[in-house]
Amino acid sequence: MATVWRSQSAFARIFAGKSGLILNNTADLGAKLNPASISTLKKHYSNYAHSPFVRKIQEQYEFEIIKNPPEWEYVQRLLPFESIPKITPKAAYPSGWIPQKEEASNLPYFIERNKNQDLSIYLDISYRGMRKISKIKKIEGDIWLMNDDVKDFLKKRYKRYIETRVHELGKFIEVKGDYVNALNEWAYSKGF
Amino acid sequence: MTSILIKALKSIYISVPSQNAKFATSAICSNTLSITNKEWKYPPTFTKPREVWIENLDTIEEKKLGLFELHPTVYGATPRIDIIHRNVIWQRKYRWVSWAHTKTRAEVRGGGRKPWPQKGLGKARHGSIRSPLFRGGGVIHGPRAGNTHFFMLPFHLRLYGLTSTLSAKLAQDDLHVVKDLDIPSDNSEYLAELILSRNWGPSVLIVDDTDYAPRNITVATGNLPHVNLMPVYGLNVYSMLKHDTLILTQSAAEKIEDRILQLLHSDTRKQQAKFKLDQV
Repeated sequence: MATVWRSQSAFARIFAGKSGLILNNTADLGAKLNPASISTLKKHYSNYAHSPFVRKIQEQYEFEIIKNPPEWEYVQRLLPFESIPKITPKAAYPSGWIPQKEEASNLPYFIERNKNQDLSIYLDISYRGMRKISKIKKIEGDIWLMNDDVKDFLKKRYKRYIETRVHELGKFIEVKGDYVNALNEWAYSKGF
Repeated sequence: MTSILIKALKSIYISVPSQNAKFATSAICSNTLSITNKEWKYPPTFTKPREVWIENLDTIEEKKLGLFELHPTVYGATPRIDIIHRNVIWQRKYRWVSWAHTKTRAEVRGGGRKPWPQKGLGKARHGSIRSPLFRGGGVIHGPRAGNTHFFMLPFHLRLYGLTSTLSAKLAQDDLHVVKDLDIPSDNSEYLAELILSRNWGPSVLIVDDTDYAPRNITVATGNLPHVNLMPVYGLNVYSMLKHDTLILTQSAAEKIEDRILQLLHSDTRKQQAKFKLDQV
């Protein structure tokens, strides 16, 4: 049997009887619905399936539907974003965050920003802090050329050889050691 | 014929002379012009958009109705076969209930009596002939029926499973975009011949963005068990791999693209939350 709405009003059932039309709206029965008038007596039907259906449900409150009222913008302000909003270009950002530059896509390689517009350079710490690996993710284009450039940059800055590892299919480069700040600086200088 | 068409399409960029009108109807013009004009909400930064032909289904001979751009994040991603594999395993497992069943020593019939006295026979002591040590006895730690293998793959693995499979299909020339699903007859032989002549392999999955496909293609595919119709919301990795060729209508291709791009660029904490049984 399909699910049906049952009357919540036990009081209405008494007046209507078992076979009668049960109305949720008590005004139709000629009685006012106030706390005092609601009877606490309950009518027990032999089972749920044999209890009568609710026939007519009127809206308790009267309202009218308005399309696009001027106040809707205040509601919209409270609604969560459908997607992460686009960045509004500014001269400087107080947080120190730097946006991606247009000319970065002219290079043979490219680092994509993530959906929150952050650089995808991360530090992986493992073996209880004994192994630190900096990881550049989301690399597009010539990953091997980028590996050479990163190696050169780190060698010049730290004046020693620094090991890297390229994963071409996974589109990432791993640098052995914590060089996240240096790599961020390099990426920002390239415009990524 | 094809080369003439390509020339015609190229010349549209420069100018639209009237003699090209017989190759390019107004609809084709808008398609070809959309090569440069197509604007996504999240435009590709570095990777170029993938270009596909818009094909037709209303003749057996293939006609190229225009060019169409697909977003590289969705249709040009690195095909991660490990993610595709995990999706396939997930799709097989989440609906699998194992009904393999064995009886324990308590459920095997008999075995209530002590088979022989504890002492005095020189034999090993036993309390029941249905003990797991006995032939015909109960099974220890055997499979019990109604074992569900349900689990949810993490949300982004499901998402990247779709992009990986779509990209692999496109790279292998197994993804075709058609303008619509209108075919001239409801005869399944027509569709079989079309699939044969275009080398679409025996099995074809046709995806449209509506629930209601045109009558002719519904009737024509009804007799062909290896040609299936599917709405966009039913698209999944398993079905795409099961069929040789994936046919998307233009609107379906766009809808898939929009939906995946939207999810890749929005807050997905709700989708990533732990799966609850009452959430469906």
